[in-house]
Amino acid sequence: MAKTTLIKKKICLLGPFAVGKTSLAERFVYDRFDEKYLTTIGVKISQKVLPPFKNDRDGQLRQHTFLIWDIAGLEKFDRVAENYFRGAAGALAVADLTRPETIEDLVKFCEKFSSINPKATIIVLGNKSDIFQRDETTLAELQKMAGEYSADMLLTSAKTGEQVENAFVMLSNAIGNYQ
Amino acid sequence: MNQTLRRLLASQNMGALLFDTQFTIVKTNPEAVKIIKSLGQATFETDLLSLFPELIGNESFIADILNQKEDNFRLDFISRLNDKGQSFFLNLLLLPDEEPGHGLLILEDVTTSTQALQAMNQQRYELFLYKRDPQFRKNLLSESLLGNTEKIQRVRQTILKLSKVPSATVLLLGETGCGKNLAARVIHYSSMPTDSPFVDINCAALPEHLIESELFGYEKGAFTHATTSRRGLFEEAHNGTIFLDEIGELPLNLQAKLLSVLETKKFRRLGSNLAIDINARIISATNRNLQEEVEKRNFREDLYYRLNVVSITLPPLRELGEDIILLAEHLRKIYNIEFKSQFKGFTDDARQILLNYPWPGNVRELSNCLERIMIFTEKDWIEASDLAMLASKPMHSTQSSQQWVIPPNGIILEDVERQLIESALKQAGNNKTKASRLLGLSRDTLRYRLEKHQLG
Repeated sequence: MAKTTLIKKKICLLGPFAVGKTSLAERFVYDRFDEKYLTTIGVKISQKVLPPFKNDRDGQLRQHTFLIWDIAGLEKFDRVAENYFRGAAGALAVADLTRPETIEDLVKFCEKFSSINPKATIIVLGNKSDIFQRDETTLAELQKMAGEYSADMLLTSAKTGEQVENAFVMLSNAIGNYQ
Repeated sequence: MNQTLRRLLASQNMGALLFDTQFTIVKTNPEAVKIIKSLGQATFETDLLSLFPELIGNESFIADILNQKEDNFRLDFISRLNDKGQSFFLNLLLLPDEEPGHGLLILEDVTTSTQALQAMNQQRYELFLYKRDPQFRKNLLSESLLGNTEKIQRVRQTILKLSKVPSATVLLLGETGCGKNLAARVIHYSSMPTDSPFVDINCAALPEHLIESELFGYEKGAFTHATTSRRGLFEEAHNGTIFLDEIGELPLNLQAKLLSVLETKKFRRLGSNLAIDINARIISATNRNLQEEVEKRNFREDLYYRLNVVSITLPPLRELGEDIILLAEHLRKIYNIEFKSQFKGFTDDARQILLNYPWPGNVRELSNCLERIMIFTEKDWIEASDLAMLASKPMHSTQSSQQWVIPPNGIILEDVERQLIESALKQAGNNKTKASRLLGLSRDTLRYRLEKHQLG
């Protein structure tokens, strides 16, 4: 049987306040969802082992333990914020589909994150798809934003669980194969 | 770590961990052990990265600190939950130690200050989301009928049942200011999609000659000034809720038209023959005894029965016991955000006054009372003296029903206020505390008004 290499990776959940970063982490790590909004202060870290994947380059089996950094919806990017981002292998950049202005705000997060971690992989998530009334302008804007960071885009719902696991698995595979 | 630094850290309750290039902890101070134990660590790990996984990913940067290539590495507000579910916040600061190849991790427990910051942010963001996000408003409103008494619980249960029947007509009864408008919104938001309209009409506020055109709309040319066609409020409420507040004030001729709309689910704009279909929940509210009004022939019996499919009676505040404090605390938090004040709560004496007062104006009166106090007072706690105007009124008294009549040529309200203040001061022998009681104001409010009118 092929040996699996276990690797710990720091990944960040980025985005403005109340887009659902904590809910995405809770859904992925503990498979639970709470309707009540509770603002995050600073950073909360949780861990989860992801399914093994085959590395495209050497064919080896690898498996990631994600240290998921759920970072507060920062209003300014000072040294403290830089240190939250430092050392991350990837990020899920989250916007709220029902508040299109969060897409514009997310650009600032991605810019800062990429400047600190130029090799890190970003996946853009449009969250709250369960209550999103399809609006092509919002989707196009989100797609354009993802394109600027060569990032994949997914529509997720922390409430229903739609595409949440997939988002983390995609990030794990992308980190494993391109970094 | 030298002696002075050790003493300094101990005096500030800060922990310190000395570690080497392998990230192995080689020395700790007692404060560090205490902080780590409070986090619920069963065993004391000697591997720094196992103890603080927050540092993973930054190993090379930390190595640079140990080699004095970087000054420090700081992580603020690290959130941890212990095995009892208690939440902690830590600040971590990594520094190079004077001993070569060693680093120092300084730990600071900032739980208390961070929780205060969190509470503040929570309120700020909730307020923003409430104004901006219909889904958030829907969730919050469904939790907003506060109270633990059986009467309030019964109201909440009825609303929960109504949320599953979006077509049922509802009649809200209760004294003025006891939350009928809020209850109507909760029914609407808990039963309709977030973008469905909620049209609020105060039947007492609309001039009689305009009510019909406002409710049903009109076609161009329907009357002298109808230069364009206009949709009425019933049309605006299509696929949503129409809330007819103070329904007891609706003129008899319009009661017949409303009855027709309720029976046929159709109406016509003024000046039009075309019947328009309407699909909306009708919620009406009144503080009158509608049955008595029916007996007095002021209200149509058939309309009364048509509106009274499900009725909910909102209890008056004086019957809610300890819930009065719950509501007062809720309002205090809201006004703290609105006025950027820092009131921590009510003293025991103040609570007693709130519980004893009969609140004839119900929650609206409580809200206005606290708003007034929190605008004009600057301190940590709301005290009995701030509620003096309530304490001076006997328990379960009824308010004076004296009617003020405006003379035909009108008044200047500012002059009347000035004269009343002068009169109260005279009656109280210039004692401002007594005068403020006579006027039903707090001392600070009176002081503000004395300054406004340049009196004394």
